[in-house]
Amino acid sequence: MASVSEMYDVTWEEMRDKLRKWREDNHRNSEQIVDVAEELINEHASKLGDDIWIIYEQVMIAALDCSRDDLAWTCLQELKKQFPGSQRVKRLGGMRLEALEKYEEAGKQYDSILQEDPTNTAARKRKISILKAQGKNTDAIRELNEYLELFVGDQEAWHELSDLYINEHDYGKAAFCLEELMMTNPHNHLYCEQYAEVKYTQGGLENLELSRKYFAQALKLNNRNMRALFGLYMSASHIAASPKVNAAVKKANVKYAAWAANQINRAYQLAGRGTKENKCSVKAVEEMLESMQITMS
Amino acid sequence: MAEPELLLDSNIRLWVVLPIVFITFLVGVIRHYVSILLQSDKKLTLEQVSDSQVLIRSRILRENGKYIPKQSFLMRKFYFNNQEDGFFKKTKRKVVPPSPMTDPSMLTDMMKGNVTNVLPMILIGGWINWTFSGFVTTKVPFPLTLRFKPMLQQGIELLSLDASWVSSASWYFLNVFGLRSMYSLILGQDNGADQSRIMQEQMSGAAMAMPADTNKAFKAEWEALELTDHQWALESVEEELMSRELDLDGMFTAE
Repeated sequence: MASVSEMYDVTWEEMRDKLRKWREDNHRNSEQIVDVAEELINEHASKLGDDIWIIYEQVMIAALDCSRDDLAWTCLQELKKQFPGSQRVKRLGGMRLEALEKYEEAGKQYDSILQEDPTNTAARKRKISILKAQGKNTDAIRELNEYLELFVGDQEAWHELSDLYINEHDYGKAAFCLEELMMTNPHNHLYCEQYAEVKYTQGGLENLELSRKYFAQALKLNNRNMRALFGLYMSASHIAASPKVNAAVKKANVKYAAWAANQINRAYQLAGRGTKENKCSVKAVEEMLESMQITMS
Repeated sequence: MAEPELLLDSNIRLWVVLPIVFITFLVGVIRHYVSILLQSDKKLTLEQVSDSQVLIRSRILRENGKYIPKQSFLMRKFYFNNQEDGFFKKTKRKVVPPSPMTDPSMLTDMMKGNVTNVLPMILIGGWINWTFSGFVTTKVPFPLTLRFKPMLQQGIELLSLDASWVSSASWYFLNVFGLRSMYSLILGQDNGADQSRIMQEQMSGAAMAMPADTNKAFKAEWEALELTDHQWALESVEEELMSRELDLDGMFTAE
C-alpha cells in the first residue's frame, strides 16, 4: 500500500502544515487526517518536536471518528506519559470511552474533572453529548439549558441547543437560540438564513413576514446565498397567496417574489452557459417558477 | 557663558557605561523569568466566570439588539431589568473587599511583587554606587539646576561642577527606565521586567478590588440597558436589497 507521501508526492513538512491548516479551520475530514498523521507519526516523529503533542490530540479525535481504537489508544498513552495530570488529556480519555460506548465510565471520568475544576466547560459539554448519543434528547436539552444558564456566552452551545429544539419541533425556543447567535454574530448570513427558515416553518402571517425579512437580510449579507433567495421567493409568494392580507401588502409581496424569481433565473442562466444538461435545468426552474406564480386577484 | 567641556577618560565609556547597561539589561531579563517561575495560578470561581459572561451578553444585547425582532429584544430587556425579578435587580453578590492583611493570597502576591522588583533595584543601585563611585560618568544633554547636584552626583564632592555631569548611579536609574522598550522588543509585551508598570499597578492596586465591582457593574449595566431603545435594522431591508441586481460574479466556475 503506497504511503501518503508517495501518492501525493509531498514532504513531511507539507504534511505537517496541512494538518495545522485542518486544525485551525476545524475540518472534520477524519479519514484523511488519520492517513496523513499516522504516517507522520510513524516515520517522522523525531523531526516534529513539540508539535507532536497537538498532532496526537488531533489524530486521536480523528481516529475515534474512524473507529481506529488502536491508533487512539497509542496517542492517548503518549499524551498521558507526557502530561500526567492534565484535564485536557483526561477529557480525551473520556471521549475514547464514549466511542467504545462505555458511557457510565466516561461520565465518571468527566465528573472527576469537574470536581477538580468546576469551571471546565469541555467536561460539561461532553456529558451532554453522552446524553445525546444515548438518544435522551429531553435530558440533553434540560442539561444544556442548565449549562447555558451558567455560561451564557458559549455560542457553540447555543447552536447545539437550537439543533436539539428543531429536532423536537419546538421552533419557538429554537428561534430564541438563533437570536442569541445572530446578536453575537450580526454579519453571519448563515445564522440569519437558519433563523428565517425556522420562522417560516413556524408559520403564521407574522412569522412569514419575519422570515421574509431575514431571508432578505441574509441575501444582503451574502448575495450568493441561493437558499436564502429561494426562501425569499417562497415566503413572499406565501404571504401574497394568503387570504388575510390587504391589497397593498399583497402587491408588495408579489413584487418581491417577482424580483426573487428574476434573480433565480439569472443565476441559473449564469450557471447554464454552454452545457446541454444545464440548459434543461434552466428550463425546469422556469417551469417551476411559472407553476408557483400567484395570480393577482 | 561658554561651558568648559570636560574631557572624560575613554576608559570610562568602556568600563563603566557599557557594563552598567549590560548589568541592567540582564537583571531585567532574569527578573522576568523569576516572575514567571513564582507566578501563582489565578483560580476563577464559577460565579465569577458566569457573571462576566452575563455582563458580556447584556452588552451585546445593547449593541446588537437591533438585529433581532423587537419582541425578542423587549423580552430580553425585561428579563434583565424588570423591577421585581430582573436579573440585575435581583442578584446581589456577596462582596468581600480583599484587604491585604486578611486575604493570604493577596499578601503573598504583594510580597512576591516587592521581592522581584523593588529589592533588586535597591541592591544593585547601591552596589553600583559603591563600585563606580568617585568619578563623573556622563553628561545629560539638558541643563539642570544646582538642586539636583546632591541627587545625581553622589560621591563627587565638587562644588563648582555643573549639575549636568552625573555619576554612575544616576546612569543606572536612567537605564532602568530606558530599557523598558528593549524588554518589550525581546521578551514580548506584558513581561515581568517592566518596572514602571509594576509601580503603577501597586499604586492603583488598592483601588482595584474586583468582587466589589460585580455589584457596581450590574448596576451600571442596568442603567445602560434601561436607556437603550430598539431600532430595528431590518425595517427596509427588502427595499435596500432590491434596489440593485444581485452580485453573482464568480459564483459558478466554468467546468
